Amino acid sequence: MLQNNESVLDALKTEESRRAFLAKFASAVFAGLITPALTGDVVPAQAAPSEQKNLTDEFDVDQLPEAVEGEHPIRRMMADLRRALQKPMDQRRWGMVIDLRKCTGCNGCNVACITENKLPPGVTYRPVMIETYGTYPNVARRFIPRPCMQCDNPPCVPVCPVHATWKRSDGITVIDYDKCIGCRYCITACPYAARSFDSGYFYGDFEGGERQPYELLPSPEYGENRNRAEGGSPIGNVRKCHLCIHRIERGELPACTLSCMGRATYFGDLNDPKSLVSELIGQPNVMRLREEMGTQPKVFYLV
Amino acid sequence: MTSPKTLNVSRRDFLKIASVSTGGVAALAALGSGFRPFDAAAQANLSKQGTRIAYTACVMCPAECSLAVKVENGVASAIYGNPHAPLNSGVVCAKGASGLQMVYNVNRIKYPMIRVGARGEGKFKRVSWEEALDYIAEKLLKIKQRYGPESVIMDAGDVTDRDPYYYLFRAFGTPHTVEHGAICDTPRRHGPKLMFGGKRVEPDIMRPVLVRQPDGSLKNDYRYRTRLIVYAGWNPFTATRIVYESRGTVEAKLAGAKLIVIDPAFSNTATKADQWIPIRPGTDPDLFAAVLRYILENHSDEDPFRRYIDWSFLEYSQGWEAFEAAFRSWWNKKDPINGLNYFSLEWAAERTGIDAEVIAELAHTFGITKPAAWVWGMNGIGHHYNGYTAAIIGTALNVITGNMEVPGGAIDTELVKSDKGGKVKGDDFNKREVTRVINGKTVTGKQEELHMDLFGKWCAAWDDAVGDYPSRFLEGVELKYGPFRGHKYPIKAFIIRTGNPVITGSNTDAWIEALTAKDGDDYRVELVVYIDTPFLETGLYADVILPEASYLERMSLSDIYPSHQLIYLRDFVLEKLYESKTQYDIAMALARKLHEKGDPDIKPEEHWEKYPTEEDFWNEALKVAPGRNHCGYPLPYPQYPVNYKLLGTPDSLEAGRVTIDDEKKVIQGEPVTVQWLREHHGVAVWPMSWGRFHNGGVLKTDSKKVDFVWDYTVEKDGEKQRKGGYAKYNKLIEAAGEPTPGLREVGWEKYPSTFYWFETLWNPYTNPDYARYKDEYPFQVISGRIHHAMSGTQMVDWLGRIPTEDLWMPLNDDRVVEEVVIGPDGPTPTGRKVRIPKATWSIGVIQMNRADGERLGLKTGDLVELETPLGHKTRGKVYLVETIRPGVLRLPFGGGGRFSPGLGKTYDFRDVTPNANAIVDPDHHSPIMGSPIYGDMIVKVRKM
Repeated sequence: MLQNNESVLDALKTEESRRAFLAKFASAVFAGLITPALTGDVVPAQAAPSEQKNLTDEFDVDQLPEAVEGEHPIRRMMADLRRALQKPMDQRRWGMVIDLRKCTGCNGCNVACITENKLPPGVTYRPVMIETYGTYPNVARRFIPRPCMQCDNPPCVPVCPVHATWKRSDGITVIDYDKCIGCRYCITACPYAARSFDSGYFYGDFEGGERQPYELLPSPEYGENRNRAEGGSPIGNVRKCHLCIHRIERGELPACTLSCMGRATYFGDLNDPKSLVSELIGQPNVMRLREEMGTQPKVFYLV
Repeated sequence: MTSPKTLNVSRRDFLKIASVSTGGVAALAALGSGFRPFDAAAQANLSKQGTRIAYTACVMCPAECSLAVKVENGVASAIYGNPHAPLNSGVVCAKGASGLQMVYNVNRIKYPMIRVGARGEGKFKRVSWEEALDYIAEKLLKIKQRYGPESVIMDAGDVTDRDPYYYLFRAFGTPHTVEHGAICDTPRRHGPKLMFGGKRVEPDIMRPVLVRQPDGSLKNDYRYRTRLIVYAGWNPFTATRIVYESRGTVEAKLAGAKLIVIDPAFSNTATKADQWIPIRPGTDPDLFAAVLRYILENHSDEDPFRRYIDWSFLEYSQGWEAFEAAFRSWWNKKDPINGLNYFSLEWAAERTGIDAEVIAELAHTFGITKPAAWVWGMNGIGHHYNGYTAAIIGTALNVITGNMEVPGGAIDTELVKSDKGGKVKGDDFNKREVTRVINGKTVTGKQEELHMDLFGKWCAAWDDAVGDYPSRFLEGVELKYGPFRGHKYPIKAFIIRTGNPVITGSNTDAWIEALTAKDGDDYRVELVVYIDTPFLETGLYADVILPEASYLERMSLSDIYPSHQLIYLRDFVLEKLYESKTQYDIAMALARKLHEKGDPDIKPEEHWEKYPTEEDFWNEALKVAPGRNHCGYPLPYPQYPVNYKLLGTPDSLEAGRVTIDDEKKVIQGEPVTVQWLREHHGVAVWPMSWGRFHNGGVLKTDSKKVDFVWDYTVEKDGEKQRKGGYAKYNKLIEAAGEPTPGLREVGWEKYPSTFYWFETLWNPYTNPDYARYKDEYPFQVISGRIHHAMSGTQMVDWLGRIPTEDLWMPLNDDRVVEEVVIGPDGPTPTGRKVRIPKATWSIGVIQMNRADGERLGLKTGDLVELETPLGHKTRGKVYLVETIRPGVLRLPFGGGGRFSPGLGKTYDFRDVTPNANAIVDPDHHSPIMGSPIYGDMIVKVRKM
């Protein structure tokens, strides 16, 4: 075991020494996965102003008819998002609000996330927990979608031996698939079990042996367009919800937010007092999961 | 941990999976059989590189929501909701988002097949389209010549884009064009059908609605006005048929509405209810009747705290006095099963198992809270023998409390949805004059008067009595009514499309028996054709299997139930995979084949010459949109006259690009077309209004009023005419001199003219005929919904991993299975052994109250066998919970005992999962419309 982080960093300073270091810990399985990083920085620390130009409105939400009062929540949240994107990255604080009074347990968010991010069997970013209480006839049941909490004080970050995961200045905790060695310490560290390990399964493994066309497409995660069907990252890495960074940076809402059948999922900039999410967390019935862990989640629940 | 497999998928392999079979356009043309190849530009568009969004409509459940599908390099990669369609307003549920695993499923039917073994054996061989169509056309013509076209049934099943099949088969000469409404929901629709000429009462919670503003503009209104929603036997959060009831219910609640859910089980919808009333199964009518009696007995015009009834309903209704009198006539009678007065609180408490105070409170709450909606559902009312009584009372409750058509109240969505279909439904063919020789006499009548149910056993059927088909297949048809009375014919051909009646169409064994019955060496039903994308159980009994293109590969229009006129297009998103064809392709190709073989009823100028392209066909279907009376408030188009029929695109109507026919009372704008829809995100939305029952409006009864009486006489031009929802059936019965067997079952000579009551079957608590079974068969069995569409999606991986409703739970044991997939020759072992680890796949289970289970010495996961008094059995693992009423077992509809290999992992656990329809009473059907009585059964439980 390494004495301190510094020696790890030293070891990782050059590509050559990095390979040597990782080779010591890698099994034969991973040997083939130690490749040079496909791109440079996964995500830039500071968003360049030119990035603001590439905003999209995939479904022409802007063209929805005007409202008598209020607005379609998707329109509202897209406006909040675009406003936030005009600020420097470190002034945004992405957060999510999930109204448990409205979640109907449909799992639309779960599957939308899976398809948007091309998740394989065994990896879910946003499962829906079901809690049931009581004795007949006095029973209650609650559906609790559980994305990554994007904690301000994330327990997963300091335990990573190779600094493959860190919290960006806009609040999203990200994973560099090239740095990640799949040791899974972070999975253990997360009190929300929000991280999953990509074991390399394909849907075709279970049926017919032939890969499905959609799992042969690259995943848009982190804007990297990696194709795990070619046999590489993120197979062997840990994966988790990243609030659909690749979508929000072009002005689109996360997949779960768009799909939510109860319109219970809200996303936006918590640093903006005018955003919908800021308004929502100002309510008396707001709570967070496992508050006592001190993780300071940025996913809030309304109950 | 397994090492990741490195599969080198060559580009060619990739394309083979993702595109049409090699040869492309040329191959299609070479197939002949009248298949029109895509034009090159359209084809190129579908497979072009890059990412695009395509607007279409779902099929993963009957809601058929409007979707926005992301396509990357010709592969569908993600499915989103279309925000421009107010029905789902951009949402998509797990089923919808999982559509990729239906479209690309390895078990999808890829090529035409012809059976080589016995029916049910699952042995097929791949054939060309030419051969398959030839086989079908040859047999159909022989059958027509020998037995008449009426011996052919075209069952277009579950998915509502059926017009090409209806059109073809009505032209062919059969009146038996069927859809799944015959077995789904039927008694539930009866009240609105009789009283409004409609079908589905839903709460006014579809938001946004597009409303004309005082300043003349059209704006989306997102506001909820509802103060109370009652869902009885209805679980909209899981049965997402009326998709806006998911977001609408929870949003209405946050806006101040109260939610009451009446259901023997604590459904997902009940989890958000302010009050869950765990009613005894099969007693919803009892509860409704008690609520109505309470309201009538306690209403006060003077006391605002008891002003339940809004008498303004009398302005647009008729017959209330007769209805009320008939209802009240029961109050003094004593129910033989408990000696209590009908519809009293004590009576209802005894029968429903709900405290009298709770019932009284419910009635008072519904009476006093306005606006409100009393909504009832499929499993609760639609599945029961006497569901009609509840549907009628429920309709009456909404009407007399003044909740129909008020903002925040209740809406009959059938009456206000957009029309579609028009000429391509083939109604004209059904009106053709035909001749038959009956007992030596030549008789002439209309093609539709040959209908096996409407002029046979079930003259009041909802189109058809599919649940009764097993008997008809075995015994044949004898017409009892109409001009062809006495005409006998067998059923010789059964074409089933996007439906799975072996699992869903009443008792499974009865269907298998009927489909495999033989006369000598030949099957009695000589031709069975199965047309679909997934390979379901009914396919195992087919002679010919045709691969229908998945919903992402075809064009059509869906049946949807919004609060006002709205229509959206199902459009081509992908190139057709393998050798699948659209319904249009199949119907036209079969039409050509029939014509080639000399069928005089198929004329080119009525089929492929009239509709040379797919788009032509659907443009015809769109000509009748929206097709509703212009009425209500705020008036949608203030510049146009009231109660004229509206036709045409929203923008042409808005801009005044119309012609107005004052004689026909029609406002004709520019017709809606496929192209117009494509230019508008696939959707056309017309304005919402309320109060559409006044002055006729959208009502479709003979009287153009809400009818509380259903067989009455009016005088018109000095002539007496018989009118009302039951009048035409009673006329048939009187002319024939005999009632239907169903009527006799309930002791009637004809259909009643107003309020009626009868008991359900197999209920020891309400029907004295069954009281003796109470001790030996202590459990009532009902079914519930899971995140699946009926029986058609249980092979989808993502949906299999989502536990739902204590019915579909990860209780699978660890298994290594010999994999079977649907190959070119049908079910084919692949030689692979696949391990399904324990608790990774959800399987159908039996939901049982924990106290019940413990008393029987059971624990969760124990395998039990259920047995009915008729000796039918099914088995499954029990799941012990607090979330169901004691004495009740709930099974997932379509969730177990699935014996088609096309069901993937669900198939692998068929031996330990229950089939709800293995235990349905095959010999009884609801007496008025002939639907199966899925929810009426009792069982005893035995641990295996």
